[in-house]
Amino acid sequence: MKMSYILKTCNLIKTYNEKEVVSNVNMNVKKGEIYGFLGPNGAGKTTIMRMMTNLVKPTSGEIEIFGEKITDTSYEFLKRLGTIIEYPAFYERLTARENLELHCEYMGYHDKKAIDKALDLVKLKNIDNKMVKEFSLGMKQRLGIARAITTKPELLILDEPINGIDPIGIKELRNLFKMLSKEYGITILLSSHILGEIEQVADTIGVINNGKLIEEVSMESIRESNTEYIQLVTSDSKKASYILSNNLNISNFKVIDNGVIRIYTNTVPQNIISKTLILNDVAIEAITKKNSSLEDYFLSLLNGGGTRA
Amino acid sequence: MGVVHVLKLMKLEMKKSKVGGNIKGVIIANLAIIGLLLVMIFGSIKDGDMEFASITYTFSMVDTMVKATFIIFASALLARLVIEEYKNDTITLLFMYPINRKKLIIAKLLIVVLFTFISILLSNIFIDFVLCITNSFYNFTPDKLTTALIINNFMAISINALASTGMGLIPLYFGMRKKSVPATIISAILIVSIVCSNNGGYSLSDIIEVPIILSIIGVCIAYLAIRNIEHVDVIK
Repeated sequence: MKMSYILKTCNLIKTYNEKEVVSNVNMNVKKGEIYGFLGPNGAGKTTIMRMMTNLVKPTSGEIEIFGEKITDTSYEFLKRLGTIIEYPAFYERLTARENLELHCEYMGYHDKKAIDKALDLVKLKNIDNKMVKEFSLGMKQRLGIARAITTKPELLILDEPINGIDPIGIKELRNLFKMLSKEYGITILLSSHILGEIEQVADTIGVINNGKLIEEVSMESIRESNTEYIQLVTSDSKKASYILSNNLNISNFKVIDNGVIRIYTNTVPQNIISKTLILNDVAIEAITKKNSSLEDYFLSLLNGGGTRA
Repeated sequence: MGVVHVLKLMKLEMKKSKVGGNIKGVIIANLAIIGLLLVMIFGSIKDGDMEFASITYTFSMVDTMVKATFIIFASALLARLVIEEYKNDTITLLFMYPINRKKLIIAKLLIVVLFTFISILLSNIFIDFVLCITNSFYNFTPDKLTTALIINNFMAISINALASTGMGLIPLYFGMRKKSVPATIISAILIVSIVCSNNGGYSLSDIIEVPIILSIIGVCIAYLAIRNIEHVDVIK
C-alpha cells in the first residue's frame, strides 16, 4: 500500500522569519494520477513545491518521493523528476534546442530524439535560430514543459504551468497532461490558482490556503456528493415558500435572497412545481435545474473553514 | 569518477556561458598592456628617466599590470558563472539536477581559478618576451638576460600568479551578498587599486605577505561558499 503513493508529505512545516508559511501539510499523491494543487497566490504552493525539489529545506516534517525520504543530500530522485518551479528559467543566450541539450546532459539522459519529440508535443515550431530571450512568456512556458518532459520522468511537478498561455494553448496543454498521464503513466502534480483549470484535469484536488492544506479529495467524490437543485426566481418568495411546503410537501428548500429559492428534491418533478405555483398565482420569472457548482464548494472552503457546505 | 565528473561539469559550464569568448579578451588585454608599457618606456627615455633601465623593474611593472587586469577579469567571470546564475534564477534549474551541488560550484570556481592563473602566467611570459625583443632593437636597458634572472623572474611570476588567483576569489563574497554583478566587479577594482597601485615604484603587492594573506582569504571565501551549499535554501 505504501508504494501506491509516489509522493507524500508528513507534517511539513516551513517558517520564514518566525512566520509559518507552510503549516503541517500532509499531502498524498497517488501513482499515476493528476493531482491538482489549488490555492490563491501566496498560499504556499510554490514553497511546498520548492521543498519537494530540495531547493528549500523544510523547517520540520518530511517529504517522501518514490518511497524514499528526501534529505539535504538526496540527488538520485531528481533523475526521475520533471519540474517547472515558478517562471521557468533558461539560459537566455542559448537557443531552445541548446537549452534542452544542456538539460539532457545534466540529467544524464542521452536519447537524441527525445528533444524533438518534446518540442513537438508542446507544439513549439520554427524556433531553431531563436535565442530564448526572444521568446514570449507563453513560448517560454511551453519550452519549460518540453524541458520537464524530455527525460520521460515518472513524476512531473509543475508550478502554474499554464501561466501566460492563451486559451487555445491551455486546451492543448490540458490534453497533453491527460495524455502523459494516461499513455505514459506519468504522475503529475500541478498547481494553479484557477479552479476551472484544475477541475478539468485533476483526479485529486488538494486545496491550500494560508499555508494549510484544507482539503484533499478526489474529483469523483466531489462530483458524486454534488447536489442537484432547482432554482426558482419569483417576485413573491413568501407565498412561494408557503405553497412549496403546504401544497407540495417540500421542506428541503432555501430562500437565498429575496426572490431566489433553491429547492433540493428529486421526488417532485420540476413541471409539477411550476404548475402548482402558477395555479396558485405565484409569478415565476425563471426556473432552472442546477448543479451546485464546484466553484461554490471551493469558495466556501477557502473563505472559512474546512467544513463541507 | 569524481574527477571525470567535475571535468565534464566544467565543459558544460564553458558551453553554456560561452567562456571561450574570453580568450579574445585576453589577447586584447595583452596588446593593450604592451602598448601602454611601450608608451611608458619610450616616454621615460625621452624625459631622461632611468626607471626602465632596470630589467627587474620592467618585469615587476609587467607583473603588476597583468595581475591588475586579470583579477578584474576573474571577477567578471565569477559574475557570469556564479552571480548571474542566481540573478537569472537558473541556479534553481541547476540545483534540481541529480548532481552534487558542491561539485557544481567547484566546477565553476575551478574554471575561474584555472583561467586566472593561466592567463596571468602566459600573459607575463608573453609580454616579457615581447619587451625583450623590443629591447634588442632599441636598447632601453643595458641589463643582460641571464639564466638566473629568467629563472628568478619565472619563480616570481608563478608565485604572484598563484597569489593573484586566490585574491581573485575575494569578489565572490561581495557579489554573493546581494547577488550583484556590479558589486562583484567593483570590489575587484577596489582590491586591485589598493594592492597594485604604484607608489614611487612600490605597491602593496611587493610586500609578499599582503598578496599571500589576501589569497588565503579568497580561498576561504570560496570554501565557505561551497561548504554549506547543500543545506541552505536556494533563493535569488
